[in-house]
Amino acid sequence: MTTQVNITDVAKKATVSQNTVIETTHLCREFGQGDTLVKALTDANITIERGEFTAIIGPSGSGKSTLLQLIGGLDNPSSGDVFLDNKNINHMTGNELSDFRRDHIGFIFQAYNLIPVLSAQENIEYIMLLQGVPATERNKRVDNLMHTLGLEGLGDRRPAELSGGQQQRVAVARAMVSKPSIILADEPTANLDSKTGADLLDMMKELNEKQNMTFVFSTHDPKIMERAKRIISLVDGCIVADERRS
Amino acid sequence: MLIVKLAFRNILRNRRRSLLTLLSMGGGFFLLCLTLSMTEGSYSNIINIFTQDHTGHVQIHKENYLERPSLYKTINHADEIISQLEQQPLVLGVAPRIYSPSLAYGKNKTFPAQVVGIDPEREAKTTHLENKVNEGQYLTRQLANKTNKDAYFPAMIGFSLAKNLQLTIGDELVLISQGIDGSIANDIFNVVAIVGDAGSYERMNVYISLTAMRTFLSIAGDSSKVHELALILSSQSQARKFAASTQSALKNESLSVDPWQVVESSFYKSMQADKKGSYISMGIIIFIVSIGVLNTILMGTMERTREFGVLKAIGTRPLAVFTLIMLESFVLAIISCLIGLVLALPVCFWLASVGISMPEPIDMGGIIFDTMLGEVSWFVVLLPSVVVISSTLIVSFIPALRAAKISPLKALQAV
Ligand SMILES: Nc1ncnc2c1ncn2[C@@H]1O[C@H](COP(=O)(O)OP(=O)(O)OP(=O)(O)O)[C@@H](O)[C@H]1O
Ligand SMILES: [Mg+2]
Repeated sequence: MTTQVNITDVAKKATVSQNTVIETTHLCREFGQGDTLVKALTDANITIERGEFTAIIGPSGSGKSTLLQLIGGLDNPSSGDVFLDNKNINHMTGNELSDFRRDHIGFIFQAYNLIPVLSAQENIEYIMLLQGVPATERNKRVDNLMHTLGLEGLGDRRPAELSGGQQQRVAVARAMVSKPSIILADEPTANLDSKTGADLLDMMKELNEKQNMTFVFSTHDPKIMERAKRIISLVDGCIVADERRS
Repeated sequence: MLIVKLAFRNILRNRRRSLLTLLSMGGGFFLLCLTLSMTEGSYSNIINIFTQDHTGHVQIHKENYLERPSLYKTINHADEIISQLEQQPLVLGVAPRIYSPSLAYGKNKTFPAQVVGIDPEREAKTTHLENKVNEGQYLTRQLANKTNKDAYFPAMIGFSLAKNLQLTIGDELVLISQGIDGSIANDIFNVVAIVGDAGSYERMNVYISLTAMRTFLSIAGDSSKVHELALILSSQSQARKFAASTQSALKNESLSVDPWQVVESSFYKSMQADKKGSYISMGIIIFIVSIGVLNTILMGTMERTREFGVLKAIGTRPLAVFTLIMLESFVLAIISCLIGLVLALPVCFWLASVGISMPEPIDMGGIIFDTMLGEVSWFVVLLPSVVVISSTLIVSFIPALRAAKISPLKALQAV
């Protein structure tokens, strides 16, 4: 069994282009069983290249969050595989998966989810501390990002002392700072007013363009989705459209 | 370092709850410390009073004299052993004794009596016999060895024996026993003191000097044989160790050196049983405190479930989350111990020096206890610390494990 799996892994590595960050194959996620069976995601085959700026859209309950959670290694698929940087993350467990998430994925949540007892600067630094990045390098990266995201002067504030928009910008900085392969954001603007949400998206897009950072985010908001360079549409757990825009 | 910072920040975050946890754990420490101080203190006090009454901390006998006493089971060259023992700094007193169960005649009555030959000065350094003289005068060396004008040796007699025989100071006492040569030992003594009271150990005893005893038993020629050596040490807790080292130092298989725990084994056993009782009450304190701590830690970790989800989602290892929770509890436990210590130490010192005087003195086998004394020792302080810290870590283990094991997604979805 294991050898078979390894052979597929190796085969994948050979075929997948160097630029592919994510590839999902026949990805399915079901909840419950029998009468209560819910197919949250059905046979999703997605390939995301480095530097893409992708929106996942669809009505409520269509499986957007489910897809992002599977890609981020927060949930396990019922069947199918997720390859991130050519590694099958469904075979990882415990510390391996923890470290992989730490080094390869940045998360942005709808509810900001900053660590309340840490200041903005400490929140941004957190992952680098886990990684053991030296202090000078840490400070350089934090300062750069705080400047880019317009957070200057807010470094010492605790999350509770920041507005929603500021908190989400700190969250973007936290996700960006360790230079992950991809940033996954599940409805990052849903808790923000539309102006602040649009501004946040513009900043993310700027980071995408200037630093070639790969983003995948989900949204309901037409104003937000129009900023995406690629839109994947989900309906009832099935991908119904996948269009790139120039 | 990161985890340590997080732990301290989290403790400071909900100050009121941390304070309540600290107070309940510190209170638990305080109660444990006092209970322990009182039990240990009372027991040391009881042991001290008990051993200083007549037993001493360590006794030396020939072979199995304790189980089957006999006139002939004597310790030879006792003088040498005594001077050897008295050189040891730990030894405060060595009292040689010769026993002879006898018949005592008073005015016109006869009663059995235990006659004890003692070295009055050494006995006074070892036990409280001198303090128990309630009429007359304690046997001093001059008094003891100089027979009175009628050539009678002086004797101190127990309170009950004096009453039964209707004897008072200055009266004549006749003792009859068996001499070492099988002859009938038979002598008249002059009552110089009455010792103890109706309840005390020596109520039916007669005390005479070793010289008088040897004359009485016709062993006057051999001045270095005794039945018993009772030793008092500077600390009763050294008794077992000292007995063992003395046993091997004596290099005499026929002598047996026993600590008071062996000599007075029934007293020792009943005390141990009593101690168990107080450990049970301490167990109950620990249990109650632990439940309270479990409650706060469980609440604290439950409401932070989402946060643990975030920490784990962004790459914190499960073990680090586990360590974080354990560390928070550990820090709280240490601070609690310090608080408890600051509160408990003055009280313990007060208990150790002044103590609580009992409304009614307790009479244990003729020995009176009227004050409950506390004790201050490393044991009294360290045991509660170990107990508070380990019970906190034990009750934190389950919430910590839960937080370490929960999937980040489930934790993130928790409300
Ligand atoms: N833990 C779960 N147990 C059972 N069903 C679930 C669970 N999580 C999601 N689902 C179901 O899976 C489907 C997809 O849910 P998902 O959260 O991915 O939708 P979504 O597109 O993110 O919706 P929204 O826009 O409201 O956030 C829904 O029908 C949902 O009810
Ligand atoms: Mg969703």
